[in-house]
Amino acid sequence: MSAPPSRPRRPAPTLVPPDPAASPPAPAASEAPGVAPRPREKRPFLLDFFPLESEKETRLSRFYDRLREGRLSSTRCPRDGELHWPPRTACPGCHSEELEWIDLPEHGRIYAFSAVLAGAPLGMESEVPFAVGLVDLEGAPLRLFGRIDGRPWSELRLGERVRVETYDIGDGRWFYRFRALP
Amino acid sequence: MSGRRVALVGGASTRWGVRSATWSELAQEVGAALFRAVPRLRAEDVDSLFVGAAEPERFAFQSHVAPLAAEQMGLRPRNILQRTELACASGQSAIRSAYAAIAAGLSEVAVAVGVEKMNLPSMSEANSAMGCVMDRPWDGPHGATAPPFFAMVAQRHMLEYGTTEEMLAAVSEKNHRFANSNPNAQFYEKTFPREKLLRLPLVAPPLRLGDCSSMTDGAAAVVLVAEERVREYTDTPAWIRGTGQYSNFHNLAHAGSLTDWVGLKHASREALGRAGISVHDLDLAEVHDCFTISEIVEYEALGLCPPGEGGRFAADGRGEVGADLVVNPRGGLLGCGHPLGATGIAQALEVFQQFAGQVPARRQAPDPGWALVHNLSGSANVHSVMVYGREAA
Repeated sequence: MSAPPSRPRRPAPTLVPPDPAASPPAPAASEAPGVAPRPREKRPFLLDFFPLESEKETRLSRFYDRLREGRLSSTRCPRDGELHWPPRTACPGCHSEELEWIDLPEHGRIYAFSAVLAGAPLGMESEVPFAVGLVDLEGAPLRLFGRIDGRPWSELRLGERVRVETYDIGDGRWFYRFRALP
Repeated sequence: MSGRRVALVGGASTRWGVRSATWSELAQEVGAALFRAVPRLRAEDVDSLFVGAAEPERFAFQSHVAPLAAEQMGLRPRNILQRTELACASGQSAIRSAYAAIAAGLSEVAVAVGVEKMNLPSMSEANSAMGCVMDRPWDGPHGATAPPFFAMVAQRHMLEYGTTEEMLAAVSEKNHRFANSNPNAQFYEKTFPREKLLRLPLVAPPLRLGDCSSMTDGAAAVVLVAEERVREYTDTPAWIRGTGQYSNFHNLAHAGSLTDWVGLKHASREALGRAGISVHDLDLAEVHDCFTISEIVEYEALGLCPPGEGGRFAADGRGEVGADLVVNPRGGLLGCGHPLGATGIAQALEVFQQFAGQVPARRQAPDPGWALVHNLSGSANVHSVMVYGREAA
């Protein structure tokens, strides 16, 4: 990976040391981009694919804080310029631990996709069928894997433009996915 | 190859499928089968045990399986005892580790065993176990498991090269047909003509049920020994002549081209180079057909055909007995099922039996001298390759 996005839309604070001002309260569900959260039953940690997001549990809590603001972000290494995915605490290229946060583009194009029609993991059975795909972000050298919502899988097309959205998974945690444009 | 020469001198497999048996019972069963199949092997000969097991914690709620397997099999390893975990390549990892130990002089007689129990009362729990092979907190929440990943490989291969569903079905039909000569196979005595395969339900489009290997319970074991000990056990050893492995990513964002499996090119070049042969010298290959598209991409990455022509290679029957080489004569993962840790062991056992002329004629490679075994793991993140020769040097 080489060229990072040319213009981050927001200032990029450093990952280390932590910035105490970086965790604003989550917006109410009605303000959230995307769809209203569904109440979610708590699953045992070892059967729950969604990660633990708080500052107490991960050094990447800023990533999840930013999801609450509707921002999908990742880390970049100021020393060698490498843009990471997923976000990291140490650069894989130069091993620097002084990384900065950067917002990722809000749109991308589908490079490949499929759908889960059977064999979904526990807790996702009721979402079947659902589409997943690899999306080339516009203006960033990243190809992200993710759920593609907003249209039946059979109506998606290769090369189609999709947007990033963040969402409340229903128990206070936030995640990201892609949404087909109308 | 440096170090001592190492050969595979025998092995055994349980019946594979949806088994009414626990993890430990499968280990006992394969232990009993091993001592029947290699009658000159005595338990006290076995100084080391390598246990290929991908996810016993998830599928059997059991950890520390190396001493458990030893006890079930009636073994008391005194040199090296360990589990090897590399998801779908856990079995080959056991063999590679045993090979390394013997070549280095740390073991004389080692058993590599693979055991996996995958069918659970709750299939969605089993699917979750498969999902955590991915980069769980990033790819997992989207619902990533193997089928949608390999479906995207198929979609890109169709787009870039014009590969068709019929070509995918050709792989599945061949491997299911070979499995009909293998009584241990999950799909033994079940026929899958191409027309039937093309009507099976979609699992992850464009992949249908017949394009996907199954959740399988099973175990297999092989014996590896130092060159000085080979003649104690067999007159038809399969010599390890080369090995190679390569990994270039884990998170799906770093997969790069879905249709050009760079890791397999590196791993096979290394393994074939160590053996001093070309891919065209191979008489048979046991390759990792977790999905039909996998075998097609593997033909290309191994160099059996140019990029993009793997589908045609399959449709033209170039992996059949009497053609270029026999590919997956055992029945492959598609026909035998895929008990993760046991698969690589059973593939090696097939090579031994092919060299010894012990398989039914309809899957026997004619007078084979060279064989290759390949496993990928995860979303083709790692490729592991071994080359076996009928001659020691």
